[in-house]
Amino acid sequence: MAEPILQTQSLTVTAGSRTLLRGVSLSIHEKQVFGLIGPSGAGKSTLLKCLNRLLELTPALKVSGVVRFHGESIHGPTVDADALRSRIGILFQQPIVFPKSVFQNVVFGVKHLGVIQKSALPEVAEQALREASLWDEVKDRLHQPALRLSVGQQQRLCLARTLASQPEVILMDEPTSALDPKSTEAIEQLIVRLKKTHTIVLVTHNVRQARQLADQLACICLRDGAGEVISQGEPCDVLCSNCAPEIEAYLAGG
Amino acid sequence: MHRKLIHHGFRFFTGLCALACCSVLMTLIWAIVQRGWPAISWRFFTEQILLVGADGGIFYNILGTLILLATTVVVSTPLALGLALLHGVYLQGNRWRSHLTLLIYVLNGVPSILFGIMGFIVFVHYLDWGKSWLSGGILLGLIIVPTVTVALVERIASLPSCYIEAAAGLGLRQSQIIRFVILPQSINGLVTGTLLGLARAAGETAPIMFTATIFAGATVPNAVKESPVLSLPYHIFILAQDSFDPSVSAKIWGTALSLLGIVFLLSLIALPARLKIHEEAHHG
Ligand SMILES: Nc1ncnc2c1ncn2[C@@H]1O[C@H](COP(=O)(O)OP(=O)(O)O)[C@@H](O)[C@H]1O
Ligand SMILES: [Mg+2]
Repeated sequence: MAEPILQTQSLTVTAGSRTLLRGVSLSIHEKQVFGLIGPSGAGKSTLLKCLNRLLELTPALKVSGVVRFHGESIHGPTVDADALRSRIGILFQQPIVFPKSVFQNVVFGVKHLGVIQKSALPEVAEQALREASLWDEVKDRLHQPALRLSVGQQQRLCLARTLASQPEVILMDEPTSALDPKSTEAIEQLIVRLKKTHTIVLVTHNVRQARQLADQLACICLRDGAGEVISQGEPCDVLCSNCAPEIEAYLAGG
Repeated sequence: MHRKLIHHGFRFFTGLCALACCSVLMTLIWAIVQRGWPAISWRFFTEQILLVGADGGIFYNILGTLILLATTVVVSTPLALGLALLHGVYLQGNRWRSHLTLLIYVLNGVPSILFGIMGFIVFVHYLDWGKSWLSGGILLGLIIVPTVTVALVERIASLPSCYIEAAAGLGLRQSQIIRFVILPQSINGLVTGTLLGLARAAGETAPIMFTATIFAGATVPNAVKESPVLSLPYHIFILAQDSFDPSVSAKIWGTALSLLGIVFLLSLIALPARLKIHEEAHHG
């Protein structure tokens, strides 16, 4: 198999004396959906934020171990964390829109990267909104406050905002758990479509979603109070394996 | 039954406290308006002092106070912004942060007369400015820095961290996050804090009496050295020592009313801006 686009090796996260994640080693391949499941509090969000160095915003948390992006450590001395984050976008559980217009939200990231002329922004915004299947719904209200959109639309707006910067990888942290079934379906269809052009890391609580969407799956569960990867591989193998009692308990519980 | 009694008793007591404060304020305003109103006329605002304060108006006193307040804003805004960003952004998770908090509170507790003495030593003597509007503005600016900083720090701290995470997740640099996320959403802290500070600075006498203001004879300053201004609080201070003369007494109350008017006006001017910012923050 080709070299993974993202790879972690014995990644450990500690908060003071407490270990949140222990020895996480994962390989994420290009143009695939990599699913992550596990009970809440297992450290899925923490792991996701390690992958684009967003965890550094929380000084209390210390990361050790290696994360490689295209084979190079993301903690290397020449790596610019801000530039890395524009190549590895992230979508949160709750849509976080800024108190600005729809248009200003879509271009919020790309505008400040300094790679695009101001005159080209409307075009970039339209393309990103089309990619996020939101264009038809908002094309007449681009200059209205984004907070007036429904939550489902807001989440797609956040996706459009991330897409506008043309990231290679999109990290999604339970992107549908705050949404109604219809919006959930819209996001799921988008994930299938985006997989052709992007690599997606999808944290989900929803076993059906993981089974349907993921090409590779890892399960993180708590062992001795710290999150560990208990199994990874093809979704059916991970979800059907009865080797680890934690997975069975997790599947039975939710 | 017993607990209910305590509950009602306590509520009554807190209401009483509010009532006491309100009535003190109302009495004060009433007293000033009642006695000051007869002195108010167009001439009072447009003429300069005549007959050692017994006649004429307070045009240059109002102008001098406004010059001092404008300088105060220019000095306090960058300092408070710097301190608040240091506190809320750069020292996050750093042990120096609590030292900075302490520093801000200590600065807030320094009596204003000490600022006056410091200004006298540094500006009047060491820099040899004599009395100057600039020293007064700088000192008043330093005095209100803690008020403005605390208001800003509180706004920044109440900013949901998810906004900062979202902006950082899009690849924005820290300076861009400050400029486009943190400042726009905390600017009303700056406005509120500056207003509170200015309302206090407008009436401060101790820091400007040795350094910036004289009783009569100054007009519009056109330099830094030896360029004092007249001011409202110092005018009240001097006239009050001579208040047996009924014509002077009317002028004192008129001046006090003008000072009160300026403070209220400042809040009124900023009210629309504050409401608008509030609206934007909550409804986009
Ligand atoms: N800043 C922090 N300091 C200390 N502990 C934290 C911090 N952030 C998260 N945690 C802890 O890390 C654990 C994992 O959290 P999280 O990654 O959000 O789990 P998940 O996304 O799987 O539900 C939780 O037990 C949480 O309490
Ligand atoms: Mg989570």
